[in-house]
Amino acid sequence: MIAPGLRRLPLVARAPLLSAAATALVGLVASTLVLSAQAQLQEDRLRELVRLHVEGLSVALAPAVLRRDVWEAFDTLERATAAGGGRLALTVAADAAGRVLAASDPRRAPVDAPLDTVATGAQPIDRLAIPSSITRLRVLAPLVHQGRQVGSILTELDVGDLVAERRRAALWLMAGNGLATLALSLASWLLMRRALRPLAMLATRMHAGETPAPIPDRDIPRGDTEVARLFCTYNAMAGAVEARIDAERRLAERERFVSLGRLASSLAHEINNPLGGLLNAADTLRRFADRPDVVRSSTALIERGLRRLREVAQATLDHHRLDDAEAAMTPDDLDDLRLLISPEVARLGQRLEWAVEADPPSLARWPAARLRQIALNLLLNASAAAGRGGRVALDLAAAGGGLRLAVRDDGPGLDAAALARLTGAGPTAPGGGLGLRVVRDLVRALGGRIEHARTGSETAIAVILPGAAP
Amino acid sequence: MGATRRVFLAGLAALAARPAAGAVGFRLGLTPVFLDNDAGIIESLRAALSDSMGAPVVFEQRRSYQEVTGLLLEGSVDAAWLCGFPFLLHESALTLLAAPVWRGAPLYRSYLIAAVDDPAQALSDLAGGAHAFSDPDSNSGWLVTASDLARRGLRPESFFARTIFTWGHRNVVRAVASGLTRSGSVDGYVWEALTEAEPGLTARTRVVAQSELLGFPPFAARADRAQAAEIAAFRHALLGLADTPDGRAALALLKLDGMAPANRPLYDGIAERMRDVEAFR
Repeated sequence: MIAPGLRRLPLVARAPLLSAAATALVGLVASTLVLSAQAQLQEDRLRELVRLHVEGLSVALAPAVLRRDVWEAFDTLERATAAGGGRLALTVAADAAGRVLAASDPRRAPVDAPLDTVATGAQPIDRLAIPSSITRLRVLAPLVHQGRQVGSILTELDVGDLVAERRRAALWLMAGNGLATLALSLASWLLMRRALRPLAMLATRMHAGETPAPIPDRDIPRGDTEVARLFCTYNAMAGAVEARIDAERRLAERERFVSLGRLASSLAHEINNPLGGLLNAADTLRRFADRPDVVRSSTALIERGLRRLREVAQATLDHHRLDDAEAAMTPDDLDDLRLLISPEVARLGQRLEWAVEADPPSLARWPAARLRQIALNLLLNASAAAGRGGRVALDLAAAGGGLRLAVRDDGPGLDAAALARLTGAGPTAPGGGLGLRVVRDLVRALGGRIEHARTGSETAIAVILPGAAP
Repeated sequence: MGATRRVFLAGLAALAARPAAGAVGFRLGLTPVFLDNDAGIIESLRAALSDSMGAPVVFEQRRSYQEVTGLLLEGSVDAAWLCGFPFLLHESALTLLAAPVWRGAPLYRSYLIAAVDDPAQALSDLAGGAHAFSDPDSNSGWLVTASDLARRGLRPESFFARTIFTWGHRNVVRAVASGLTRSGSVDGYVWEALTEAEPGLTARTRVVAQSELLGFPPFAARADRAQAAEIAAFRHALLGLADTPDGRAALALLKLDGMAPANRPLYDGIAERMRDVEAFR
């Protein structure tokens, strides 16, 4: 029923358009009826006029036609035409043989001329119709005297005024319809706009920012309970959305600690390892304090161990501290990442492949905190999936002004729930980890996308960040 | 039976003629040959004559001169405004009362007219066309053209493709103006009067030729009643028409100067044309 193009229009425009179309259609039908009635009326009127004219003329003309009295016929015709009030443009009387006896304008229909030459296009009186294209109408009627046809009467009627009247009526109707259509459309538009104002407000509020904005109290109508209820419901929903987003944000915050927590044991291990060496070195120093060579080598050993400890501590601190500061990504951040994941990988006896082909400028266009979080979560996930003795790989490459970060593992692959968390937009199913969902949200916030591929025994999750950084 | 009837008719005629000015008033016969399109003119003339006579004047209008002449001869009217031609036709039975004075004299001309855009320069150029006559008993509306043709050995019926009688000089102008006929024979006085009364009508016609001056259509009465008191009174009223304001107003409407005594020689020109037509017949 409704054209697809129309369906795309907003309701506030569609309703007036439909009402305009309906009004125009009704107007058209009504106008057609009026015009056809007018034409019928005019034709009836004209037929009656011609009939009276011919009947009157027949009485006056018949004796003259029978006597072939040219003057008498002319005199009658001329006076009858003059009395016709301008409607009769020409009247011609012809005898039974079809020859002109006289005409109200003899120059147009000379005496003795064949009637056919002046009667072209003449309509019979009983089937009279007024075409809108002509202003002169010719009507041919028999001249009957005492029940016998003694000749013919041709009448040329000036119907210019009737045609003009029709045209005028058509114009007025058209103008009236146009105005009515316009007025109704306008009224309908105003009405619809008024009726749809709450909807328009809802639509505006819904797209006000990243989250639906609640409708201020002053805009909630007091009297209209339906709209008021709708607005209150909307406000409640907007509040819920805001709360959910807030919760997700807090969850993401927490996830950072969760991932660190997951690293804690291996980090403790990492710290513990040099501690044994350091304690040994300290013992050696105490015992061989008089031997400079031993002191020197032990001090160097202690220094190296301490340095290592400081690096681990620094990486952990950095990961936590980078929270909100939108510091740019540097190669050092990648080293930190490697340092953070290495103990876990080592603990599980896994092989780590590390391929970075991105220069500092292309890294610097991205915020370090978010990118590190993305990479760390993916690496931890890959490491967990790969299992003992598995393989974990990171490929980072600059591509077309953007970045492509891929993390691969030879684990069994992502299950449906995990994949949904990583790529889906729906709510997170309870029970699962939040790491992948955080990755998804962070990537979306950066304007990037995630590709997941399972080739052979390898799972690859690629994060593609676009050329134009947000 | 026949004799009785004749006596009866004569008695009727005498009855009709005798008390003319009595119950009905003085009866004047007219044809629509003159300005017949304005009832006001006729009424004004009738009123002026009635005033002058001190008795009502009744106009009897007929379509043709023949009818009016018949009325006059049988005594149904007391007098008639005739044309010089029918007067001469019945000269022996009639007497002249007066003749209108037009442009200073009781004379007028016959005009031969054609459409304003017709190239004809003379009667001979109009051969083969349709022609409108006024009345077969009219001097200016038939006799002049017929005698012009007779003098060249021609007859109207064969010279013109078609001849029609329109029973009125104004009708002749209408026939020519409308194109019903190519040419027409018309009273010059009527044509000139029409140029003032209906300039739009005469403007569509053009005078191709004019006749010589001829006697103006006179008022006539039966010769045997020439001495009757009412006839004398009527003659007196006619001749004195220009002396009364109403009479002058009527004359002005008729575009006439007044009325003058008429005599037989005034109509010699018409008589001559009659002889020429008669001779050719």
